[in-house]
Amino acid sequence: MIIQMRSQWLLALVVCGLCCAAVVAAAGQVAPAASGAPHPQSTAAVASPGEKVFMDNCSRCHIPPMTLSPRITGTVVAHMRVRARLSRSDEKLLLQYLAPR
Amino acid sequence: MINFRRIRQNKHRNMRRNYPALLRLLIGLAPVIFCVLVRTGQCNAQQSAAEQPATEQTSAGYVPVISGAFAYIQNATGGVQTLTPQIVPVLLVPMGHSLLLESRVEFTGFFERENQTTGPYVGKVFKTIDYAQLDWLATSHVQAVAGRFVLPFGLYSERLAPVWIRNLQDLPLTYQIGTHPDGAGDGFMLRGVAASLPSANIQYSAYMSAHDSTTQLAAVRVAGGDTSIYFPAGHVEAGLSYERSLEGYQINNEAAYLSWQPQRASVDLKAEYDRNHYGDGYWIEAAHSPQQFFVAPEFFRRMQLVGRMEQVFVRNGGGNGLPRVNEQRPELGLNYNIRDDWRLESNYGRLFSANGNTNVWNFGFTYRFVWPLWPGRKS
Repeated sequence: MIIQMRSQWLLALVVCGLCCAAVVAAAGQVAPAASGAPHPQSTAAVASPGEKVFMDNCSRCHIPPMTLSPRITGTVVAHMRVRARLSRSDEKLLLQYLAPR
Repeated sequence: MINFRRIRQNKHRNMRRNYPALLRLLIGLAPVIFCVLVRTGQCNAQQSAAEQPATEQTSAGYVPVISGAFAYIQNATGGVQTLTPQIVPVLLVPMGHSLLLESRVEFTGFFERENQTTGPYVGKVFKTIDYAQLDWLATSHVQAVAGRFVLPFGLYSERLAPVWIRNLQDLPLTYQIGTHPDGAGDGFMLRGVAASLPSANIQYSAYMSAHDSTTQLAAVRVAGGDTSIYFPAGHVEAGLSYERSLEGYQINNEAAYLSWQPQRASVDLKAEYDRNHYGDGYWIEAAHSPQQFFVAPEFFRRMQLVGRMEQVFVRNGGGNGLPRVNEQRPELGLNYNIRDDWRLESNYGRLFSANGNTNVWNFGFTYRFVWPLWPGRKS
């Protein structure tokens, strides 16, 4: 009984903490894209269709990759197309975004 | 004289006896597979230049790549220290624009003191082939995969499990539901995006795995599928997974998951509920990176705060990868991206269990790498 009560309190505490974090974050943090470790949810300054594809798909799971050499970008995007179940048109937009001519 | 007819009849009888569920599933899936193949043929016939990879509009090249991560995690559970170095190489070999050979292998050292809290560190290195698969990017909407693949069950196993992606180093308590024993299947899979609209994306996977008892390629006979819908406007994704075990106790595994990245907040919320014959449970995780902290914003932008709550409720005695008693574990983590490829990780959790409550600590780092295997230029 005591364990159950304690666990309920803990659950309530964690849920409250998560809500607070969400509220604090939502209170005015629209982040501009920046160097370093940009956050996946920084979508305010989405410029190109390729960047939108990146933000909509890749950023759901991981932060943007380190600088990719253009000569491997095709291989990496093909790999991510399978992982993220992307369409061919999305692959094309991603290539244009990650390895522009 | 050998009676081939009788042998064949016996073989068919054995198949009927051993694989009734498999046959039923195949018969049931036949119309779907037929439609997909017909659609694939139509798409190939109609494939326009616009659908080809846009190599003429980009500088993207297609040379083989070795990617992956080095990681080192020091774990302390109930006062027992464990050292876990890991090397996880991923090999990518493209063959033209439509075929890709890819493989991920894990070398994981597991070292702890001889008498748990005293004595020298002893242990061994485990080798696991996570996947070794050939991908055929058949059409814009269909990808065919053959070989050993990660079971696309739920949100965690395929997308969040790699050591360089997961926010907390401990796997969820319900991780083994749908992925038992090794999280991989040996067989074939169809996957892709069923509909790609401005308002929503619908993605799917359907797979079948054979039984394999080969060391490092172990898999069980299962069939299943996963589908999810993503709404770009709200950055919300919801999905369902189903898997049927076709050997031993033929049980169902089910999962439902949700992912949400609020547009105006740098918060990433993910949750998953899993259940099967042996138990059910959920995890809910939130990650937050302060993007515009009032002091040292550049420093705090690289920081990530993580919280996760999870519970598992056993049924029928539990086991099969699940605990034998009900458990719950709240966890808090703090990660820091020194650079894009270096990450420091730490987290603390408390496991509440009828077998005793314990503290769980993890400290470590991950180094992510992506290297071309040889020089090359745009194909």
